[in-house]
Amino acid sequence: MSLEAQERAKRLATLPFERTGAPTAGGVGGFLTAVRDAWRQRQLLDLLIRRELKARYKDSSLGFAWSLVRPIVMLLIYYFAIGKVLQAERSIPQYAIFVFAGLTIWGLFNEIVSSGTSSIVSNAGLIKKVYLPREIFPLAATGSALFNFAMQLIVLTAATILLWQFPWHVELLYAPLSALVVLTFGTALGILLSAVNVYLRDIQYLVEVAMLILFWVSPIVYSYRFVAQAVTNSGLGEWALELYLANPVTIAVLAFQKAFWIAGDAPGAAVYPDNMLLRLSIMIVIGLVFIVGAQRVFTRLQGNFAQEI
Amino acid sequence: MPQLIDAPEVIRVQDVSKRFVIRKDKSLKERIVNFRRSNQHKDDFWALRDVDFTIEAGSTVGLLGANGSGKSTLLKVIGGIIDPTDGVVERRGRLAALLELGAGFHPDLTGRENVFLNASILGLSRQQTEGYFDSIVAFSEIGDFIDTQVKFYSSGMYVRLAFAIAVHVDPDILLVDEVLAVGDEPFQKKCMDKIKEFQREGRTIVFVSHSAGQVQELCDRAIVLQHGNVVFDGPTEAGILALRESFNP
Repeated sequence: MSLEAQERAKRLATLPFERTGAPTAGGVGGFLTAVRDAWRQRQLLDLLIRRELKARYKDSSLGFAWSLVRPIVMLLIYYFAIGKVLQAERSIPQYAIFVFAGLTIWGLFNEIVSSGTSSIVSNAGLIKKVYLPREIFPLAATGSALFNFAMQLIVLTAATILLWQFPWHVELLYAPLSALVVLTFGTALGILLSAVNVYLRDIQYLVEVAMLILFWVSPIVYSYRFVAQAVTNSGLGEWALELYLANPVTIAVLAFQKAFWIAGDAPGAAVYPDNMLLRLSIMIVIGLVFIVGAQRVFTRLQGNFAQEI
Repeated sequence: MPQLIDAPEVIRVQDVSKRFVIRKDKSLKERIVNFRRSNQHKDDFWALRDVDFTIEAGSTVGLLGANGSGKSTLLKVIGGIIDPTDGVVERRGRLAALLELGAGFHPDLTGRENVFLNASILGLSRQQTEGYFDSIVAFSEIGDFIDTQVKFYSSGMYVRLAFAIAVHVDPDILLVDEVLAVGDEPFQKKCMDKIKEFQREGRTIVFVSHSAGQVQELCDRAIVLQHGNVVFDGPTEAGILALRESFNP
């Protein structure tokens, strides 16, 4: 027997035995192990995100430029068709920026949840053949959604400069907080739904419908001022408004508009709920707890992934 | 094949059973409609029953059995891809699995991009992959096609690239699931030579194959499965006889 073989045997004899498969230990400790495992795979995570982005525009000659074209066209439509022709600008000044700010943060949430939900099923080939911490698939979906978000953010910033509306004020700091709310809730939902979707394929269609509803119950194309007015007019009282604000996407959208839409600073142009900072912080904390919970459920469900896909 | 003296155990399979539940209703509607009778819409199937053995470092083990006897399931349980219903599998050292070649390949990416992706899936860092890259390409004999999208590859090219990556990740344990049948004869020979080199270097190989010739040539131990039970565990020659017996009970 060669020397190398003896060396290897000696080294192997010193290694501790590890249980195969995913750790199933419960509680927060199990969550921390999962985070550590996923962190160890960050290079792979990076490659998976690149794979997703590269594969998307692989055979097109313009490549990544396409990820800018769509938001630009969208912005132009909102500026001319809705803002000028439908005259939405009369009630909401700088409508294009208002809507695009909302759409940018909404797009992040939508993409994280939608592509997160299908991430495990669409990576079936990998999951059936190799063991990896499976959380990295919904996380990779989050990563590529962040890239598209960055693209939209560039277009949004360019638009604010062109329209002489650059948001140079303290409220700009609301933007990262708003993104954090969306990131925590989106990732938690992505992790949770990606696992459930393996067992129940209807989930991904359910998510489509839920997203449509969520889009219209968030103040993206209409302003929160209208909602507050409608509630006052109908005499429903404070609780109806609080119910409306219990939606984390609503809070995130409002904070993002506060950050990027300076036309709303004009008197009477916009209404924001009180205690925005407090609301954002509460949402972030709830979102973090939600991530831990979602990951625990994911761990429970992932043992049978390879055979259910 | 000479054995190591005092070879440490690297794989411990302890009382492993695996049950598959075959559900006949997959959609939400069917689940709700059949909620009360959901047990009628399930079938149990035991792919593995109380499988128990250990594998020492440096040995080459052939898993034999008829189609559907649980070989591939056992290999996947060892690889950690499927969790066992009962029992524990423990192992140590770096593992590489050639379960289905090109599993981690993305058809739209080039061979080069896939090498980095696949090597990373198997546990290599970017720097390590860069170090091995030329050697991987040379072993696979892909040549200039390395910058072509892999969807244009022939199945032979696929297998060669995947095998080349798997043998370069410096595994202590290599799991191989009847994938070598795809390459042409010179490449199969090359793979066999590589596996023999692995044996000399004291790596552990677990091998599923239907080719008695390959098993006889490579393995020093055979485990024969029948309907999820281990019916034989011992030297290769006797294992192949036991396999033939399991075909016609």
